[in-house]
Formats: sequence, C-alpha cells, structure tokens
Amino acid sequence: MRSIKMKRDLLIVFYISMILFNCSRENGLSQTSSASSDSVKSLDALDVGLATTISIHFTYEQRQGKYIYTKYCSVCHGMEGKGDGFNAFSLDPKPRDLSNEQYMKSFTDDRLVETVREGGRGVNRSPLMPSWGGRLTKDELLYVIAYVKKFAVSTDTHK
Amino acid sequence: MNKLRIYFAISSVVFLFVLAISPLKDFFSEWRGYQLAYNEIIKELPQRIQPVDIGIKQLWVRKLDVVDRCTTCHLGLKEKALVNAKEPFRSHPHIYHDFEEFGCTICHNGQGSATSYKESKGKVKYWDKPIFPREYMEASCGKCHKEQVVIQAPILSLGRKLINEYNCAGCHKLEGRQRQWVPSLNGIGSKVNRSWLVNWLKNPKAYFATAKMPNFQLSDDEANTIADFLMTFKSFSNNAILEPLPSLLIQSSESQTATLVEIGSTRLRESRCISCHPFNGKGGYVATDLGKVASKVNLRWLYNYIKNPKHFQPNVEMPRYRFNNNDLTGVVAYMNSEYVDFDMAEPPSHTPDPLYYEKGLVLVKKYNCRGCHEIENIKNSEELGPDLSFIGSKKLYEIDFGLSGISQSLSSYIFTKLKSPRTFSSKMKMPNYELSDEQAQAIAVALLGNTSEQIPEELKIKPKPASTFTPQGKFGKLVNDLACFGCHTMFGRGRLVATDLTLEASMAKQEWIDHYFKVPYSLRPILTERMPNLFLSDDEIKTLVDYMEKVFIADSLTNDILINEATVAKGKLLYSEKYGCGSCHQINGKGGFVGPTLDKVASRLQPGWILHWLKNPQAYKPESIEPNNNFTDHEAEAITAYLMTLH
Repeated sequence: MRSIKMKRDLLIVFYISMILFNCSRENGLSQTSSASSDSVKSLDALDVGLATTISIHFTYEQRQGKYIYTKYCSVCHGMEGKGDGFNAFSLDPKPRDLSNEQYMKSFTDDRLVETVREGGRGVNRSPLMPSWGGRLTKDELLYVIAYVKKFAVSTDTHK
Repeated sequence: MNKLRIYFAISSVVFLFVLAISPLKDFFSEWRGYQLAYNEIIKELPQRIQPVDIGIKQLWVRKLDVVDRCTTCHLGLKEKALVNAKEPFRSHPHIYHDFEEFGCTICHNGQGSATSYKESKGKVKYWDKPIFPREYMEASCGKCHKEQVVIQAPILSLGRKLINEYNCAGCHKLEGRQRQWVPSLNGIGSKVNRSWLVNWLKNPKAYFATAKMPNFQLSDDEANTIADFLMTFKSFSNNAILEPLPSLLIQSSESQTATLVEIGSTRLRESRCISCHPFNGKGGYVATDLGKVASKVNLRWLYNYIKNPKHFQPNVEMPRYRFNNNDLTGVVAYMNSEYVDFDMAEPPSHTPDPLYYEKGLVLVKKYNCRGCHEIENIKNSEELGPDLSFIGSKKLYEIDFGLSGISQSLSSYIFTKLKSPRTFSSKMKMPNYELSDEQAQAIAVALLGNTSEQIPEELKIKPKPASTFTPQGKFGKLVNDLACFGCHTMFGRGRLVATDLTLEASMAKQEWIDHYFKVPYSLRPILTERMPNLFLSDDEIKTLVDYMEKVFIADSLTNDILINEATVAKGKLLYSEKYGCGSCHQINGKGGFVGPTLDKVASRLQPGWILHWLKNPQAYKPESIEPNNNFTDHEAEAITAYLMTLH
C-alpha cells in the first residue's frame, strides 16, 4: 500500500519537473526550425531612426561603389547607368547602357571586374573605356561592380 | 521516521530533476540551434565549407579589451559563398579591417558576451550601448580615425565637413574643431538696410536658400529689437572709413547710366564673380549669393567694399580687383540695377522700444551671436551649448526626451535634435539649421564618433597638422591681397576649388603662366569655377611669376625628352588606338570634355611634368580622376614626345 503511494508521489514530482522544464525552454527548439527567417524579420523591426537615407537602400559595398561610380564613371555612363553622361555624346562607340538587364546578366562578376580593371582594350572592345586597374584597388573594383549591378534591376529605385 | 525517508526521497528526486534542467537548457539553447541550422545549410551549397564544431565561439582582442561571442551564431562571416545567405550566416562585407583583429563590438556596439539574439543586440535594460543601426555605422570609424576626410567613410566625412561649415564650434566645445571665419558685425549699421536685416534675422533662408545662418525662430519683437541694436554699430574695425560715392553714381542722366551699366556688366563677367558667388542659386559655392545683394546693402558700402574688401573685413577671402574708377562705378551701377529683390516684403511697422539697446544686448548674448560673428565690445562668451567632445558616450538616463515620443536611443535623439532643435523643450536656444535628412544623419554620425572610449594611442589616426605656409615679402602681400588661398592650395594650405599650385612652375611654362594672368581662360570649358581676370599690372605679374619660378618647382620633375619622328608616331598611335585618351581629352575639336584640351599643350606644359604625370597622376593631384594606365617608360616617353609636337 505504502509503495503504491510512493510511486504516485514520484509520478507527481516527475510531472511537476517536466512542467518546470517546459517553462524554462522558451527560447529553445521552437526557434531553431525557422531561426534564420525569424532573425531577419526582427532585425528589420529594430528601431533604426528615420529611414529616408541612402544607407537604407544600399549595402555597404553598393554605397562605397556609388561614391566611386559617381566620381569616375558617371561622366560617361551617366548617373543612372544609361550611358548618357555629359561626355557620352563626343564618344563613338557610345558608352555601354548599364541598365540593360539582359545584357548585364550575360556577364559574371569576375568578367565585369576584368572589364573595369583592364578597360575596353583588355576585353577586345573599344579603347575609349580606360583601364582602372592602376587607380582602383581590388576591393574598390568589387564595390563599383556591386553598385553597377543595381542599375539593371528593373524594380529598383535609384537614389 | 518512515515519513521522513519518503520526504527525503522525494526531495532528492526533485533536486535531481532541477539539476538536469540546466544542461538541458544549454542543450536546447538558441545558439546551438543556429549552429545546427548552419551545418544543414552549408550541406546544400555547391562549395565545400567546413562545418562548425558545436560550442560557444569567442574572440578576445587584448589590445582593445574586447571579448565578443558574436561568431557563435554569425558563422559565415568569412565565407564568400554565403554573400546572399540569410542572417545570421551572411558573410561580412569587404572592409579594410579584419574582425578577428579588432573584434565586433568595437564597431557595432551591442553586448559582446551575450549569447542570445535579444541580449546581444543590447536592446535590454541597463545596457546603454545597443547595436548601431545601419545608417549610423560609420560613426564607429570616427572613434579611431580622427582625420577630416576618411575616404572609406563618406557619410562620416560629410558630417565633419558640415560641422565645419555650419560652425558648430561657435557654440559647442568640439575636440579638434576651430571656429570658422564669419563676417564681423562691426559697421553693419553702415552696411545693410534695416528692413533686410529684420527679414534676414527672422528667416535667413528666405533671402537665399543656401544661407549658412540658422533660423533662430525669433518673434517679431525680438527680431526688431536685435535689428535696432545692431544698426547702432556704425563704425568698422581698424577705423576704416567709407569714402563718398562718385558723383556719377548719385546723379547721372539715363544715357550715362546705360553706358555705366553696360561697362559694369562686361567687367562683372570678366572678373568671374560667379566662380565663387552664386547668383540666385547658380554659380560657385565658396561665397554668399549675390542675386539680391542690392536690396541688402547700400551703394556706398558696396562701392567701398569692392574697392578694398580686406579694409572692411580683414580676414575675408575676396580678391581686391584692380578696377579703375570708371570700371568700378560701372560694376556697382550694374549690380544696383540687376541684383534687386523685387519680392522683398517690408516688415510690419514698428516703434522702437526705448530700451532697445539693453534688450538687444541681452538677446544677442542669449542667442550667442558672438559665437560666430565678431562684435565690438561684446566679449567672447564661454561656450554656450553643451560640450560635444564625448557626446557619443552619453548615457541614456542623462537625456531628457521630453514629450517628443521618439524612440529612446542616442542616435535618434541627436538626429531629431538636429532636425528640429526645440522639440524636446521650448526653452532650448539652439537655432534651426533646416538640414535635410541626409545632412542631419551625416552630422549625427560624426558626433556619435566622439566617444570617451579608451582607444590605444597607437591605433588612433590623428589629423594632419594644418599647413602654416605663409609666403612673405612682396609675393606674400599679393597673395593676401588677391586671396589666392580662397581657391588655390599651396604647400597644403588653401582650398581646392582650383588647381594646386605647389608644383606650378614645374608643370607650366613661364611664358604661359605670364600670359594666363593677363588673359585667363578655362582649360575645362564645363567648369563654373574659372580663374577671374584680376586686372593685374605688369609689375605685379612679374612678382608672382618670379616667385613661382623659384619656389613652386621640383628639380626631380625636369626631364629632357628625345623627340624624333619614330617616337612621335608611336606616341600618336598609343594616344588614339591603344589607350583611347581621346575619350576625355580634345585635340583639334575631337574628343571628350572631361580632361583639359590638349590643343596647344606643348606651349603650356613642361615635358618632364607630362612624363611624370602620365606615370602616376595621383602622386601629384590625389583628387584627379585620370586613370593610372601603368605605362611603361617607353610608352610614357612616346606619348610625351607626341604631345610636345602640339604647338
């Protein structure tokens, strides 16, 4: 009789501890399954002040690329990459339209970097496109390509 | 007795379970879930990536005293294949610092030793360094990089530039910032008309949109009292006296005025005022807008000021043009007829307060006009605004958010304060600079970088000491009189509106410089900022050129170039076929408009300069956008030889 009671008590204790354990795992497994997507959402929900500036629309690379592009490239390729910079009308052949999605998609990043680094003559195109390998560092070339690729995304708003 | 045993047994079992919870909690912890998910994700990628050993990862940076466990969950920071992966596995953007060397929280803030998402972001109670929002990230660069321009942090650099431009150091203590020159108010009573002054005090941006003076949000009464007070300052510093106007400007027939205006219009264009002054928003950016100046100042002051600017504003960067009397009269007559504000609103009539002087003085002191403007007999008040040297380390509990209802973080506080300074309390005195979002953000970034964190001295990058180059003698006097430093840089001093003159004599030929002073023209027709015609005498030109030939020269840049037919032909081919120089430079009307035209380059430039310039343009002018083509010596010599045939 006594042993049955003991078993019952043990059972109660077991249940209580299970409940305790369940309560304490609030951050546990339930989050793991969808860990990555959840954290992205909550990052966006973080308070970031007034979101009207360039840093919201661009990643770090694209932002750096924008400054480089504006300084070196926009005179011919234009601020929006359409190949209509103020210097474009005196050039023949005309500067490439960088907002042409189909054309831009046919190149890998490496090839685009090579084109900027070696210039037109390095990739059997017009020598009017100078080679920027001596001026821009490896990282800067990657930045500028990251930015240039944004032109060809049709839904994007350029700021 | 038996009962006691049962209780003992029960409690031991309870303790056993309680003890088991803690390892179980650890086993099901958040970070372990991320690490397992990471190992799953990388299996699906085509690239081979080392799976992570389960366990807490920690970075310890001894020199900065930083302990960060961010890499426990941010596992793909160095994996290029994970560029587009979801957080927390995305790779870190390319930056110039290795995070293993510097840690994470030194730049990002947040709680480095935390291992859960919420705690590590630092948005928890009693942690006053929450993670930096993305648009304020560059503030962290400013902790160590104290130089004015940090190329890799453009927002920070813009902020620092704006802090100088808007003269924040006038009212706030800011480490390493000097007060900028702003016109002195001595003699303002003999300079401006009172209606303009009242309008200006009430809203400077209504007069011209790019006005630097902020809006103090004065009431009509306050503006009138300050105007009355300021109009009593009739005498200039250095006892300068206004000469009477020439009779032609006071009384002249219609035909006389027409001729005067015509002369003035020509001279005004020749002297390229527009290189520095905008006219109704169009033109240079160095000086104030002149589009409505005739409604602001009186004719007598204008005539005297153009005649000798430094006489009335000793430190102003305006050249003294060598106009003869007739030309000067014409210029003033033209400005008087052309640059009038036809829409100027007459301020409502106002009977001066009998105590206007005392009240005005109190107001001028209250708003600290002296912080920027020099005013006779008013002492330089101690910094009025709070010390901003360590604003980036301000604790949240020290900030009064008032009833603003903005989110409680330091960055949004500074941003809101800059955008509308009196949001937090109507008793605040800070004026409204009417900044755009981008400007306010940039200034906030620059301010947030001023922290009291202990950074080892050897890691700090200090600003370059300002150049103290002050030419002496006749040349020095001329440079001061012509305000050359306002546009040109010499040995590190001055602005870069125009070209750096440090190596001018090595670059250009003497005869060309000589001629250029007499008939300045623009090498790049697209530029607004062009060299003005200062109407210098032959003697003055000789002084300038002689000094330049002796001082602005480097012996290492003198090279003789062998010019023969073969090299010239080779150079021409390189110029047009291989390197496509014509995309930016013009020869015989063909080519681009980015670089200077090369039509008569042989009569302008020295061969040695061209050679060295071609090899590395940025060594001489770091801001130049000319590509560095890595020419071989032979190629550079051939192109130089070709260019030297273009007379």
